[in-house]
Amino acid sequence: MGSLGVNVPSCIVIGISLVIGLVMVIVFGYTSDQKAIHVAKDRLKAQLLALRLFQDQIRVVLRSYARIVLATGHYLRLAFKPLLFVIVPITFLIMQVDRYLGSVPLTTGQSFLLAARMKSTDSFNQVSLLLPDGLRSSAPAVHVPAENAVVWRLAADKDGKYDIKVQVADQFFVKRIVVGSGLPRLSSVRMQGKFWERIFLSAEPALPDNNFVQAIEVQYPARKIAFAGTEWNWIWLFFVLSLAAGFLFKSILGIEI
Amino acid sequence: MKSLDKSSWIERRRLSIFMALLGLILLCPLPGHAYAGPGAGFAVLSSFWTLFVAFLYSIYAFFVWPFRQIFRFLRHRNAYGKAQIKRAVILGFDGMDPELTERFIAEGRLPNLSKLREQGTFRKLRTTYPAISPVAWSTFMTGVNPGKHNIYDFLARDLANYLPYLSSAEIKGPKHSWKIGKYTIPLGSARIKGMRRGIPFWHFLGEAGIFCSVLRVPVTFPPEKFPGVLLSGMCVPDLKGSQGTFCFCTSRTSGDKFREGGVRIPIQRKASHCTSYIPGPENPLAAGSGDEMRVDFEIHPDSAKNRARLIVGSESLILKVGEYSEWIPIKFKAGVGFSAHGVCRFYLKEITPEVEVYVTPVNIDPGRPDLPISHPVTYSIYLAKLFGPYATLGLAEDTWALNEKVLDDQAFLAQCYSNHEDRERMLFDALEKTQQGLCTCVFDTTDRVQHMFWRYLEEDHPAARGVARDQRPTVIQDLYARMDALIGRVMKQIDDETLLMIVSDHGFKSFARCVNLNAWLHQNGYLALKAGKTESGDWFDDVDWSRTRAYTMGLNGLYLNVKGREREGIVEPGIEADSLKDELRRKLDGLVDPASGRVGITGVFDCDSVYAGPYVDNAPDLIVGYGDGFRASWDSVMGKVTSQIFEDNLKAWSGDHCIDPRLVPGVLFCNHKIGEEKPAIVDVAPTLLKLFGIPLPGYLDGKPWTVGAPINTSAVASEI
Repeated sequence: MGSLGVNVPSCIVIGISLVIGLVMVIVFGYTSDQKAIHVAKDRLKAQLLALRLFQDQIRVVLRSYARIVLATGHYLRLAFKPLLFVIVPITFLIMQVDRYLGSVPLTTGQSFLLAARMKSTDSFNQVSLLLPDGLRSSAPAVHVPAENAVVWRLAADKDGKYDIKVQVADQFFVKRIVVGSGLPRLSSVRMQGKFWERIFLSAEPALPDNNFVQAIEVQYPARKIAFAGTEWNWIWLFFVLSLAAGFLFKSILGIEI
Repeated sequence: MKSLDKSSWIERRRLSIFMALLGLILLCPLPGHAYAGPGAGFAVLSSFWTLFVAFLYSIYAFFVWPFRQIFRFLRHRNAYGKAQIKRAVILGFDGMDPELTERFIAEGRLPNLSKLREQGTFRKLRTTYPAISPVAWSTFMTGVNPGKHNIYDFLARDLANYLPYLSSAEIKGPKHSWKIGKYTIPLGSARIKGMRRGIPFWHFLGEAGIFCSVLRVPVTFPPEKFPGVLLSGMCVPDLKGSQGTFCFCTSRTSGDKFREGGVRIPIQRKASHCTSYIPGPENPLAAGSGDEMRVDFEIHPDSAKNRARLIVGSESLILKVGEYSEWIPIKFKAGVGFSAHGVCRFYLKEITPEVEVYVTPVNIDPGRPDLPISHPVTYSIYLAKLFGPYATLGLAEDTWALNEKVLDDQAFLAQCYSNHEDRERMLFDALEKTQQGLCTCVFDTTDRVQHMFWRYLEEDHPAARGVARDQRPTVIQDLYARMDALIGRVMKQIDDETLLMIVSDHGFKSFARCVNLNAWLHQNGYLALKAGKTESGDWFDDVDWSRTRAYTMGLNGLYLNVKGREREGIVEPGIEADSLKDELRRKLDGLVDPASGRVGITGVFDCDSVYAGPYVDNAPDLIVGYGDGFRASWDSVMGKVTSQIFEDNLKAWSGDHCIDPRLVPGVLFCNHKIGEEKPAIVDVAPTLLKLFGIPLPGYLDGKPWTVGAPINTSAVASEI
């Protein structure tokens, strides 16, 4: 809740959904073959009506079923063309929003797991953890050879942004952890790899080149957004609201979808 | 070159990889990008919804189908048990003339009809009295004479005021309304009452379990319920409720009004564009005030490209001069919750120096009909979804616009054939859907084109004087050839168990001379004008009814002003009326046109002898049969008395059939041998019923024909 009792995350999702719904409808209108879509939808409806009008004529009914399948395929092909124009920006946008709305920060006193994924088990014994003030380890490190991972159970004593250092031999690898509340930008994992390999998973810079650590992960709890009396994952709420907004705006703007 | 090829290959490969990756992203979503916005959502949801509905309906249909079959079996046990045929296809060509057909067959223009004539049947088909489409097609479908189906003309007269009304249907506003100040809120929908009586033969077939598809048969509005599908034809009104009111938007100033069929609307010039409007129906919220709803539109001329952009509502279209638009949806808004939906086409006539746009009558939108134009209502919607919007108006070919020279020959023909092509598509869809049963479709094109282009067929038609012989288009020859090609395509689609019948309701003759029968009645003392008047206005304005014994309106009907029947009747019914009828018959029969020396009226028929049935009282007293080359004058039809009895017909409407019915029989072609030598249109219904093994109702006037073996129809059809 915000200071005025407003549920900020749900307001953000509603706002984004409305804007994206509107933008998508406009983009759809400009990038799609509106006439072809109109015709394709009409053909579909005609076949549905044929099922009813000629219901006692089994040959006609079967032919209409076949035509419905074909017409649906045709319609999908037409409707996906505009999707190609927006898939990249929308995907990036959603990924960015997901950093803020997908998870909640850790809370004070809450224990959580930090995992360092190693390139091999050979360096397990050289791994150690350097914790900043405010963080403490609540259990010794656990080696999980099946996953090439070393896992620590940690807890925070106070809110803040912490840079945890994983030391292997004489190299240090830093992972940021956020403890507190609000809508900070969260990244569950810091990893090695090229931009295109990390973009979908990590919001942090790549780990430096090394022979030991592939990734350092922490699991933030998923955020639940209260809306209409139930709790939602933001992406589902966005799905529903942006669709509703899209259907609303398409009627207002007279765009065929 | 090689390195270039290689680089472009690499580029293509990269693009392919990118597209493949994009596809993979779509197919393998991770939680963070599982959903790529509403675009994908809409696409998936809409198609999923359609498939889901189809799937649900499939399940329903699958489970219900056996029960329906059992029900059908029990109800229509052996529907085809006594049938001689499994399917009948009847193609109606309004006004196809037997003499012209024979002439064109002899000229080798009609190979399919020629083969039907040689191997099947060709006869002249006796028509009704009078030989008018709504009368003849009503007889075609009911198998009874007009005295039993109550249609005698397009128009009937109101006995209370001598004014005409449409004979086939009556449309009234809703029964109840709520008056709030100057507004009237209609409570309910418009009331439509069909005036045609009698039962179409497809009702009997449908009740017996024989499926019927009926397309555009005249006088099927309002559509009646029956077990089959039907799209109404001639007599369907436009959105204004008229039989077709075109709109001619022009920047030329003119005080002229079109006498009938159209309105002239001014175009206003603005700085960068022009504006005009399409008048619509009366505002239902201001019922009785005469306030019309209207839809504004903009015209943005582009003289350099000889075209203009038209903006109508949310539609924007570019038209070249001399080009029609597609059907454009039009919405007339009366207020919140009240609107009327129509479709119309625009024709850009001129953009320089003046701007002129012709707009077709606003047809009832078949995809969203405000009045029912089909049975079931969804059938017109189905056709609109399948083929796009189409003309629904009964008289969709705008003959008035050509008569008034708003359209030229080419523009009119383009309109006719565009409508015709839509109907062909509907026919072939109906043929596909009606593998057993009855499929019938009436094409109007033959009638309209012959009406408007007969002038070029005749050596010295007044409406084509001055047009050199080598400059006369062969429109009617081409029309018949086109219909023959259509018949050929239908013949290709049918098997030997299908009966194919080609019928027309009447033939055609020249309309070169107009006869103003009201003028004759006036000059011979049967019709009186008010003192000091030598001519009347339309609809008997200035007629002195207290001294009038007979009058005429419409195309062939002549009425006595009978006491106790007409509001101001003076002729005593019984002996006086009978003797007046005899007198009129004697004087009119053989009436000679002094200018040409030809007989203008070849027969006058007493309705008491040509009609029988419960609705004879609504019939005219006499039916006037004009001679070849003559017809009721334009003024006479509209109840106007002029000083001239005979005059030249100078209008493009130059051929007609509203003459002596003996001179204009229709055609009958069949792919079976038919024994009857003098078949009549009234026989079609009983013949079809008999062929499908349905007992004939006792009241039918027609007699079934003896129908023999079929020919191998598809094998003899000619590829065109």
